[in-house]
This record gives sequence, C-alpha cells and structure tokens, in this order.
Amino acid sequence: MLTKHELLEPLARLRGDAVVVTCMSVTRPWGAYSRNELDFASADSAMGHTADLALGIALALPERKVICLNGDGSMLMTLGTLVTAAQAAARNYFLFVLQNDVYEITGNQPVPGAGRIDFAAMAHGAGFSRVHSFEDAGAFESSLSGLLSGEGPVLAVVRIEPGSEGPISRSEREASPYLKTSLAESARRLRRALHS
Amino acid sequence: MARAQLVLDQLRRNHVTHVIGLPDNSSAALFDLLTGDGSIHLVSVTREGEAFAIAAGLWIGGATPVVLVQNTGFLESGDGFRGTITRMRVPLVCLITYRGYGKMTAWRRNTPGSSYDAGTLSDARLDSAALVTEPTLEAWGLPFDYLHGDEDAPRISEAFRNAAAGEEPFAILVTCDLA
Repeated sequence: MLTKHELLEPLARLRGDAVVVTCMSVTRPWGAYSRNELDFASADSAMGHTADLALGIALALPERKVICLNGDGSMLMTLGTLVTAAQAAARNYFLFVLQNDVYEITGNQPVPGAGRIDFAAMAHGAGFSRVHSFEDAGAFESSLSGLLSGEGPVLAVVRIEPGSEGPISRSEREASPYLKTSLAESARRLRRALHS
Repeated sequence: MARAQLVLDQLRRNHVTHVIGLPDNSSAALFDLLTGDGSIHLVSVTREGEAFAIAAGLWIGGATPVVLVQNTGFLESGDGFRGTITRMRVPLVCLITYRGYGKMTAWRRNTPGSSYDAGTLSDARLDSAALVTEPTLEAWGLPFDYLHGDEDAPRISEAFRNAAAGEEPFAILVTCDLA
C-alpha cells in the first residue's frame, strides 16, 4: 500500500506537460507537489464526475496527455464511465483509481464493497486494453515512466493508505493555487493555458 | 416532426465538434445521421450525467460540444449538470427531447390552472417527466427555447449566440420527433 507521498511525488516528477485532474483526498496533497498551470482540481464540482471531465479534455486534445487521479468512491459513482472511456479509445487518457476503500473526506467511512472491489477486472471488462495494479511503492515508481509513455487509454489501480483529509473548499485560505479561485475561473485558466 | 438534417446543418453552421448523449425515439434519426457524419464526433455515454461532465472537459480543451439527451436523462443528470456546466459557466447548447409534451399540452388546455400535485404527477394518462421538465430547468437556471418543427431550426443558432453572450448554457427543448 502506498502513501500519498509515494504516489504523488513520482507523478509530479514524470507528468511532463500532461494535464493533471485531481479530486477528493489527493486534491490538497497534489498542490504540495505541483504548482503547474495544467493542474485542475475537480473540487466544488460534480460528485463522481472527475473521470468523465478528464475524458472530455483528452478527447478535445488528442496530442496532450491527460492524467486523472480519481478516488475509488468517486469511481463507484460513475462506473459506466469506464465503458464510455474504453469505447472513446482516447490514446492520451490515463485514469488512476486510488483505492483506499474509504470516503476519506467525510471521515473514512468504508465505501460499498470495501476490500472486495476489483477495479482492474472492471476495467478489463469495460474494454480497457492496458490495465495496471500497484500495491507497492517500488513497483509503482519503476513502472510509471513506461506506463505514461505508452498509449492509452490506461487504467491504473493504486492501493493507497487512508489519510485524514477534510472537506475541500475553493478560497484564498487554501494553500494550493489551483484551489484559490472559483471553479469557473479555474476552468477558464486551464482553457487559456492549453491554448497559449 | 422536424427534419434531423436541418438540426445537423445548424450544428455544422455553429462549428460543433462533438455531440455527446444518449438516443431516444425522438432523437434517433439525428443520432443515425451523426453516426455517419465525418465532421462531428459522436460520443455515446452510459448515463446522461456523464455527458455534461465530458462536455465541460471538451469545452476546457477548446472544443465546441453539444449535449443531446431526453428530458428524463436530463433529470437524472442533476448534479453532473450543476457541478460542471453551471458551476463552470460553460456556454453549452443542450438539445433536450421532450417526452410527454403532447399529453401535457392537451391536459393543460383541458384543465387550465391545474397544479402539479401528487395526483397529477402519478396520473397514468400523463407523463410526469414532461410536467417537471420546465420547472426543473427554471430551478437549475437553464434558459430554454423550443424546437416544434422545421421552421424553428434557426433557433438553434440563436441558442449558440445566447450561450456565448451570457457565458452560460442554453437548452433547446425538442417537442417533436426528428425524422
């Protein structure tokens, strides 16, 4: 099982010029590793719709890699997106499902099916041809470069430790730059950055 | 009845790049045209809430998406719509087919002033999806116009102008079958 540091530090180092879309319990921690204008927090947004939002960006910009850091609770809310993403066959789409088996933001209540859910099997069944699972930090770090340099759509399930992140706001009080502005302004900033 | 080809022409005129949605009987002809169209990408989704999130992402990426769903699916997509399109102020045009519109308008004609109580909403002669569509659009802050037939096709271009000018979504309620 990886810590958030073991997950996010290599991703921040190897993401290149990819768009990175975060949600829920990794939103704030990602801001500690990255201050990139191509980061986007799916916060103050729609419940469970981060993977499909990121898919839209990927479909609009086929030459730009899009990395989505989705929670397991969020993924469970829109499992159909696995089928949509596989069918859309976006070669630049890299979906990471961060499996900690809990709703961390609300106090670590277990998600339905905690401990039994096999997202990798679901992704295979949905039509993803490249599916990876990681429970070990060393294996994750050594595989990440190759994973990101290959062709998508890719789904990577990463077992992570539950933490203690609280509810996320969008305000000046947040330390991460990508949480300081409204969702509407953040969307426009990313749109401008992608076309500058 | 309205010609699906006229709707497709309007989408092309407004440089639409992607149509995201789920077909119903009213929109099937347009989906068929889009399936064979090389200039507009058709993105099929498993549930309507996905369509709005994907559309928001497409817009962030610089594309010009349109969402095409039935009113029942729009109702299902509540938080997906609110948390992406509304919250991000995406100038998205939504084509929403209006299941139950005919029965509803006949009922309104015959029973003026009737309210939507539990009896009305469960009346088997009516389709409650139609009854709650416009109140829901109003509650969710989504302005709308109607496509009743061929003559209304230019309203689609007007919807694009309204969406762009207001930096907000705009819906076209399709009250007839597309053929």
